[in-house]
Amino acid sequence: MTLARSAAVPTLDPGIAWDALVIGGGATGAGLLRDLARRGMRTLLVDRSDLGTGTSGRYHGLLHSGGRYVARDRDAARECIVENRIVRRIASFAVEDTGGYFVATPDDPDDYVDAFPALCAASDVDCEEVDVREVLRRNPTLNPRIRRAFAVPDAAVEPWALIEGNVADAAALGSMALPYHRVVGFDRSGERLLAARVVDIRSGTEYRVMAGQMVSAAGAWGGQVAAMAGAKLTMAPGKGTMLVFNQRMTDAVINRCHMASDGDIMVPVGTVAILGTTDIHVADPDHWQITRAEVDELLDEGEKLFPKLRRMRLLRAYGGVRPLYDPSETGTESREVTRAHVVLDHAPRDGISNLTSIVGGKLTTYRLMAQDTADAVARKAGVTDRATTAQEPVPDPHGDRKGRYHWLGGRLAAHEADGGGDAALLCECELVTRSQLEEVLDRRWPCSLDDVRRLTRLGMGPCQGGFCTFRAAGAVADHAARTTSDPVAIGDMTEQAMADFLRERQRGTQPIAHGRQLQEAVMTAGFHWGTLGLGSLVGTSPGSNAQR
Amino acid sequence: MPSADVAVIGAGLAGLLTAVRLAENGARVVVLSEGNGALHWAGGPIDLGFRPGARSAAAVVGQLARRRAHPYAVLGADVAPALDWFQRLATDLGLPHAGSLSGGFGALPTAIGGIRPVSIVPEAQAPTLQPWAPGERLVIAGHAGYKDFWPRAVASSLARPEVWGGFSRPDQVVGVAIDWPGLRERRNLNALRIAEHFDDPDWRAAALDITARAVASTGSGPVRVGLPAVLGLRDHARVLEDAIQRFGTPVIELPLVPPGIPGIRLHDVLRAKLRALGGRILIGERIARVEATNGTVTAVATEAATRDLTTRVGALVLATGGIAGGGLVGDPDGAIREVVLGLPADGPPIQRWLHGDPLDPASLPIAAAGIRTDDALRPVDPLRPAEGPLFENVRVVGSLLAGQQWMVDRSGDGVALASAWRAAASLEATAAPATRSSRGAEAVR
Repeated sequence: MTLARSAAVPTLDPGIAWDALVIGGGATGAGLLRDLARRGMRTLLVDRSDLGTGTSGRYHGLLHSGGRYVARDRDAARECIVENRIVRRIASFAVEDTGGYFVATPDDPDDYVDAFPALCAASDVDCEEVDVREVLRRNPTLNPRIRRAFAVPDAAVEPWALIEGNVADAAALGSMALPYHRVVGFDRSGERLLAARVVDIRSGTEYRVMAGQMVSAAGAWGGQVAAMAGAKLTMAPGKGTMLVFNQRMTDAVINRCHMASDGDIMVPVGTVAILGTTDIHVADPDHWQITRAEVDELLDEGEKLFPKLRRMRLLRAYGGVRPLYDPSETGTESREVTRAHVVLDHAPRDGISNLTSIVGGKLTTYRLMAQDTADAVARKAGVTDRATTAQEPVPDPHGDRKGRYHWLGGRLAAHEADGGGDAALLCECELVTRSQLEEVLDRRWPCSLDDVRRLTRLGMGPCQGGFCTFRAAGAVADHAARTTSDPVAIGDMTEQAMADFLRERQRGTQPIAHGRQLQEAVMTAGFHWGTLGLGSLVGTSPGSNAQR
Repeated sequence: MPSADVAVIGAGLAGLLTAVRLAENGARVVVLSEGNGALHWAGGPIDLGFRPGARSAAAVVGQLARRRAHPYAVLGADVAPALDWFQRLATDLGLPHAGSLSGGFGALPTAIGGIRPVSIVPEAQAPTLQPWAPGERLVIAGHAGYKDFWPRAVASSLARPEVWGGFSRPDQVVGVAIDWPGLRERRNLNALRIAEHFDDPDWRAAALDITARAVASTGSGPVRVGLPAVLGLRDHARVLEDAIQRFGTPVIELPLVPPGIPGIRLHDVLRAKLRALGGRILIGERIARVEATNGTVTAVATEAATRDLTTRVGALVLATGGIAGGGLVGDPDGAIREVVLGLPADGPPIQRWLHGDPLDPASLPIAAAGIRTDDALRPVDPLRPAEGPLFENVRVVGSLLAGQQWMVDRSGDGVALASAWRAAASLEATAAPATRSSRGAEAVR
């Protein structure tokens, strides 16, 4: 694996007056950073956490063909297929071209199935009915009672590579993204926001960031950012829960051919497959739980696609919060709220001349969301350059692909080329080597092991960090020793890295554990607490949020 | 048709000890196990029970024995004789274990830079039972490219006094990373591979030499040397002797993530002992079926290549482990299934299987799930214990016994020892006439 960006995390120079400040480092924020940079606006992006830790890093991994929306929201379907084609073109490295099927199970209504090809045609979504026997032959765990199947250009897309690529493109043009920098307030003079007050979470230093335009791409957290500026914005966050299976029971995306609902998509992503999703309104995007009951409902629905689903090994459950926006701003039911994105100009709404929010939308259309927002921001700033993001390719941060698209076998091929069985694998489930880990530490230090995970898939396999956490922590200790010679400080840093990662990984197992994964969880805890004496190290104070 | 007086299902500590104990007393024993057994995960110490502030394991055993739900409520009195027998047996087998039930606890450092309280340990960990002298240092030494042992991380962590709790601790902890000969290009090393290298006298001499020089370079004065638990597999006693001699210091083997070499050593010698006593042990045997009439098990069938292999048995010992060992399976509908006989299990409801902060060992209430028994370790229905045993000639041992919070109270090995002792005694008492009379005959019953 080679990494294009070699510079360490940049530091903030408070003397710079930026053309724009983007708040929120998900796919939309990263896309916006790139778009504004390409229009010549020198832009800073800040996120309270690592990039891609909010909704962008917590969805099912699907690059929509649009087929899911053809009945309910024709515009959304059209946007999806257009952007699907663009993302495949500009960021093919982040896309695994799995293809997808809409399949008619016995539970799906005939009239919907019959109408589906015409609905697709009306939204320009490529759709072709295929021989259902062939689909079943290729995917033998699918429900044999599926009676029709339609092929669509669904794909899997890896959000962190996409985000990294967008940031790298912007960085080459003098813009910058800073993780772990939280906006805590704004300096305002009349109608204008003069500066944002930004705290570097790791050092505690507070900066004033001056920027001509302020843009909130904080998604589900958009209401909180707007409030700090004195604006009112009511989001309708919808929690989606997803289940991760230990195997790709399908190599193509499988959708139920019916009106979009819960538990009706299976997406092969990397080495696993992800069943999505639920949609539950939550009051606070930071505080929510995944319950066994919710997992059961998902499995009940999923079994209509894959009847033996409960016998397959489940690794974990995770959730993300959709940045849904109800234009009536009454804050209610979320499956009914539009998935469309909306650019909100806070000048007419709230009397703040230089604040813009982007709300709603989905990862597939991240680039269009960024473009629409950048259009509005550029207009306010008097910049006339047009967007070029649909034409210019995003730089590939990893390079493990064969041909055009990301290739699942790339990691193994690279590992074999790097000495095969003799390369030190720290994470055996996901083939992460010591040198890959050290490279990320070099580039991103100081960072958490969860940050390393997003760039390497460390700990995302069956052991869920049970083994590799300690190996990665060993590398953290060696790395920390470059900045301090105080063994106590090194010990503390190493323990923190270990504790945070173990907690985060194992929490995801709690609501799903049964069978083999339950056995793994107890066995792992057994050697952690028993053999290795983990209890002498970690504190037992609960974390701030159940699933983050 | 093959036959045995007793079939033991499971080859962990409890299963092997039950089998050896029965075989010592003349029973014809067969051990059937699906896998290699949980000793392959074990780091060396024999945990009888611990709680912060306790003076000795004996005190903890006594305390746990007063809890009705804990296996020690039945087995508490057997811990001492079972331990005595185990220590004599282990010494005979070349793996002497130091420590005693009443002798208090020491702190054994581990490969993640933590410590675990210990009371009974193999010789290579015995120095941890002695308090540290003033000025005495701990040098953590390991191979630089070995991914399961990072000397700097271990030493840095152990340099923090709070990690040692209230235990006696070294004045200073230093880490040194060494290149052991010929391993540099073998970056994907595991403990087993390195242990096999140590069995080789020439390699060992070179590795110990390099290590001794590295240790000496860290300073002078009294020191103990902490190494990953890889000091030989088959020839461990000699490796340890050579290391102590070459360093001129006490040596401590630090437990690693699995595979656990100290546990494998114990597994191997117990297995050899069982064979020497005429017992059989078959690994890779999944139980396909158990035949029983009127609450008495008569035969077990295991999956073989072309047909099930049926063994006629006089008695059955379940040493299959709990959820971790695979003796119990938690089904998605919340049922806890005992895999061999379908015994009714006692355990928490599914909502509480894994519950609370994962960084609290009490967040796994499911670990206490298991089978309830009568005093002879015969399985009973947890909801109707008064109705008596479900099978007359079945015994339950080890972590399959309900009520052990072994990650919290650290009683797992003590339960294994005492239940093996009790099950063997009880089977001898009840089955003795039938077993003895049938010995040498074609089949049991």
